[in-house]
Amino acid sequence: MPNDNEARSSDSRIAAMLRDREVERFYYDEAALLDAHRYEEWLALFADDAHYFMPIRRTRTQRELDKEFTRPGEMAFFDDTREQLAARVAKLKTGRAWAEDPPSRTRHLITNVRVIRDDGRTLEVECNFHLYRTRLHSEETSWIGSRRDVLRRAGESFQIADRKIFLEQTVLLSRNLSNFF
Amino acid sequence: MALANGEIDKLVSLERGEIDRRIYSDPAIFELEMERIFARAWLFLCHESQIPEPGDFFQSVMGRDNILVVRQKDRSIKAMLNTCAHRGNAVCRAEEGNARSFLCTYHGWSYGIDGRLNGVPGHGTFYNGQLDKSRHGLAQVAQVANYKGFIFGTHDASAPPLEEYLGATGRLGLDLIAMRGDMEVVPGIQKFVIECNWKIAVDNLFDWYHPQITHASAFESNVLPRVGERRDGGKIDMSDVNMQSGANLELAAGGIIGSKFETVVVLGEYGHAIGGPSTSSSGYFELFPEWRDTPQAKAALGPVGINVAGHPNLFPTTWVTTGQQISLRIPREPGRTEIWWFTLVDRNMPRESRDILISFANRIFGAAGLLEQDDGENWAQATAQTRGVASRRMKHLLGMGLGRGRIKKEGGLSRIEGLTSEYAQLWTYHSWAQWMKGLPWDELKNATTPGDCM
Repeated sequence: MPNDNEARSSDSRIAAMLRDREVERFYYDEAALLDAHRYEEWLALFADDAHYFMPIRRTRTQRELDKEFTRPGEMAFFDDTREQLAARVAKLKTGRAWAEDPPSRTRHLITNVRVIRDDGRTLEVECNFHLYRTRLHSEETSWIGSRRDVLRRAGESFQIADRKIFLEQTVLLSRNLSNFF
Repeated sequence: MALANGEIDKLVSLERGEIDRRIYSDPAIFELEMERIFARAWLFLCHESQIPEPGDFFQSVMGRDNILVVRQKDRSIKAMLNTCAHRGNAVCRAEEGNARSFLCTYHGWSYGIDGRLNGVPGHGTFYNGQLDKSRHGLAQVAQVANYKGFIFGTHDASAPPLEEYLGATGRLGLDLIAMRGDMEVVPGIQKFVIECNWKIAVDNLFDWYHPQITHASAFESNVLPRVGERRDGGKIDMSDVNMQSGANLELAAGGIIGSKFETVVVLGEYGHAIGGPSTSSSGYFELFPEWRDTPQAKAALGPVGINVAGHPNLFPTTWVTTGQQISLRIPREPGRTEIWWFTLVDRNMPRESRDILISFANRIFGAAGLLEQDDGENWAQATAQTRGVASRRMKHLLGMGLGRGRIKKEGGLSRIEGLTSEYAQLWTYHSWAQWMKGLPWDELKNATTPGDCM
């Protein structure tokens, strides 16, 4: 028979596993919405005060690696409030957003999901992504990177309160970023 | 590879407004551009605020030469080829940073931040102390100059001085940013790649015919922050302009560019040009246009310049935007161009205004830019359709307004006023053809001096 301490420890480990599974499931559902072009439902996953940020990355020497990424307040590829993200979604819905008509074919692969911090109300979560895109005849783009999110518990699910996207590219090797990460 | 000048003249017709499509994909033409344009013209390297301290460097590009722009101990700025004098390896592989010296990681030749060769491993033993280090420093760019903080370089020691090269048109182009205050570059240069010819990316910056179509989704969904005052531009005739579905392509009400949209085009020597709205008729398209009312701005821009609210291009590849950004279109291959964005703000600007400007710049242009994400698609396809044997027999047309443009000369500037036109694009291509002939500088200037009409 396990003693009380062992039982508590076992319970908390099971709780953590269930939580991790919920977070993963949340991300898989999110990826499915994006790949199905269901952008308004995707947008609803973000908190009203959310910030969506993809910094610019620069090749720096090892001793200056702390300056590799730009920070909020500097230049970025994405630096959107939720309202600004909503505007991007509205743009895609006009029927005149030529960069996405014909639409890109995308697949979001989400891996290496790790809950870094959990204070009961908010979670800090890191994951890796591979966003694969093809367009038109033979255009192919592969974006691999990591995301660092702040997730807020919201009922049975989560809300994205902050998302930072770190690409494994300095010069962006594609003509545009007309898709979401 | 060498094209006879007669052949080059056939590629661009100023009279008919026609461009031969081969200039966008012919590798031989691209190679000639590298020699006759990019190895001669003054090219923008960076802004001095990017390298404030001694040893600060920024890696830039001139043609296919990689250039280290470095702040010196005496605060001057040098630009050097990033290639070791021994076996050619790059001596710096970071995009930017601070260095006390540059080390070639192949055999260890070590250079000072001024490019001087300081150390050679085994100099006494392997070279018997006989290698003359003073002769093997990093090659310096032939000429480097600073115009109000903007650093330029040219590989041609015989090129005219920068201010003369820029002329009134190029100087006005830069003054449209420089006169906004004590300008500095915001950290983070956006860089991305479009599979297009560099000239298509350049000529598009003058093109005020495309925004309401290419960027229809951005205007229609009101995703763009409102800038300046919007006046009734008049309705563009869209009859029989139909989408693939057969539905009429409707333009958003209050679209910025209408039938009455007045523009001022400035044509300059060496191929510099400005195209776009006039402030008096169209408003500013600027978030904080108050700088234009300052006496120093009025004095620097002059009565003609103060009325310019469009887009200057410093030939060949430096676009100055109304959103106080500099965009370089860097040719990598005939069908591959790198786009770099530098964003400038006034150091003394309130934090809140600075944030608004940065946010605006981040959202409008660049790879995810609400405007620019749709541009790349056009440019890539326009380039791709220059490769087919039958397609490339068709000309590109830049005839809008042709024959009706009366050139007024005032204050050293040649301008055409009127509705939306393609004069600035055509002027760029006409000048391109003159450059491609490899003319001596004085003849090049004459051949790119505007006449009385276009």
